[in-house]
Amino acid sequence: METLKVVYINEIFKISKKKKFIMALAFSLFSVIAAAIAVYYLNNFAGIRITSSSDFSIMVLSVLSYTLFPLFIAFIGIDMFAGEFVDQTIKLTLICPAPRFKVFLGKVLAIASFIMANLMFVMILSFVVSIFISTSMPNLLKILLAYIMEFFPLFVFALVVVLISNIAKGTSSAFMFIIFIFLVFNGLGLIFPYFKSLLFTSTFDWYNLFLGSYINLSKILRTFLILLGYSIMLFAAGYYLFEKKDI
Amino acid sequence: MDKAIVIENLSKTYKNNRGIQDINLEIERGEIFGFLGPNGAGKSTAMKIMVGLMKADKGDVLINGYSITKDYEQAMKGVGSIIENVVPFSYLTAYDNMRLSGRFNAQVDEARIDRCLEITGLIKNKNEKIKNYSLGMKQRLGIAMAILSNPNILILDEPFNGLDIQGMVEMRELIISLAEQHNTTFFISSHLIHDIELTCSKVGILYSGRLLGVDSTQNILKNYSSLENYYLSEVDLNGDS
Repeated sequence: METLKVVYINEIFKISKKKKFIMALAFSLFSVIAAAIAVYYLNNFAGIRITSSSDFSIMVLSVLSYTLFPLFIAFIGIDMFAGEFVDQTIKLTLICPAPRFKVFLGKVLAIASFIMANLMFVMILSFVVSIFISTSMPNLLKILLAYIMEFFPLFVFALVVVLISNIAKGTSSAFMFIIFIFLVFNGLGLIFPYFKSLLFTSTFDWYNLFLGSYINLSKILRTFLILLGYSIMLFAAGYYLFEKKDI
Repeated sequence: MDKAIVIENLSKTYKNNRGIQDINLEIERGEIFGFLGPNGAGKSTAMKIMVGLMKADKGDVLINGYSITKDYEQAMKGVGSIIENVVPFSYLTAYDNMRLSGRFNAQVDEARIDRCLEITGLIKNKNEKIKNYSLGMKQRLGIAMAILSNPNILILDEPFNGLDIQGMVEMRELIISLAEQHNTTFFISSHLIHDIELTCSKVGILYSGRLLGVDSTQNILKNYSSLENYYLSEVDLNGDS
């Protein structure tokens, strides 16, 4: 357990020192402020009511879930696997007294922490901003629940990134492959709506299941189990490839 | 005597049919073992398998009595290593890179990191990012990281690479003093025959993936005028069989 903790701390430390991490925070900040300005302008000067105060945070979440969040996850995930294999820095981690499973798990946990941190950062920011752009107080519990639920599909996406990063030979090919997969899965959802519920990309807005007046527990459980199934399969496949890699 | 490293029937074949075949070797504690061979002989392959960067097709390596395939964590606990070129994280400082390795050992504190950077002559550049480091400085940092946790075994693949003459002399002195004062075991590979002769107490010749001969430097120099002559004679006798 101590070794896993050290690997995890090291990975978090490395993420925090990357320019991409600062970039992720800066772009998140910028996108929330830009959205707030647009909503404020439309609400007050154009006579169009876009959102209520609680809905502003949810609106930001729904936009970023399909854009910036997956993009940042792809950047960080590719850097931590394909990037380190390409520039050989992975050697420093692998020659430490930590078995590969703990190295893999530590890295995955660090990505999961990054996802949660990014979600919480945007949530707090959008919550604060929504107080200024609206007269009513936003429903914090509802917002918190939505952001926490969004962690699960984004984590599954992160495991897709990890898997592809262990297949691809370079960082650029990994990035292109991930974009391709992301677009294909979204496209399949549009072409075959009957199978949509089986695709992880269709769960990016599953937090809506908790926000309505009627909560469909069986649908929530089904979606959760689908996400769990994806997580187990992707984690196992990613680790298998990571373990087999010769440096 | 206490065996620090035991290599048993180690084999690995690449797609191009190169690699290593049935290597058996025992290194006693406190020995400085030199793995000598031309480029492509399989030295790095054997060493990568020893530290877990590569999987063997057959065989095993026991380090401090622990198998690297069955108990990697225990086997690597007392080991420091440099494999091929040292590639630290370029966006981190030397100190940050040292901390990444140091966290695995509770006894490594800031003073120990500073001491290792001092030994390798990098203390002045401690807070400089690695992207500004030269090849030689990166190699020195690799050495500092390898000795950071006071390991009882050091596996060094081409440790003299990128070092200037002064650096090579200092490196030799460091290896000999660690072996004498702390009974540290060294497993060093190099294609620089002179450095092996001056540094190692035991030498093994690896040629085309096969271990041709192992003997103490003292014995070799008793029977041959130089290590180079021993190497050429072993390759002549057994190299193409």
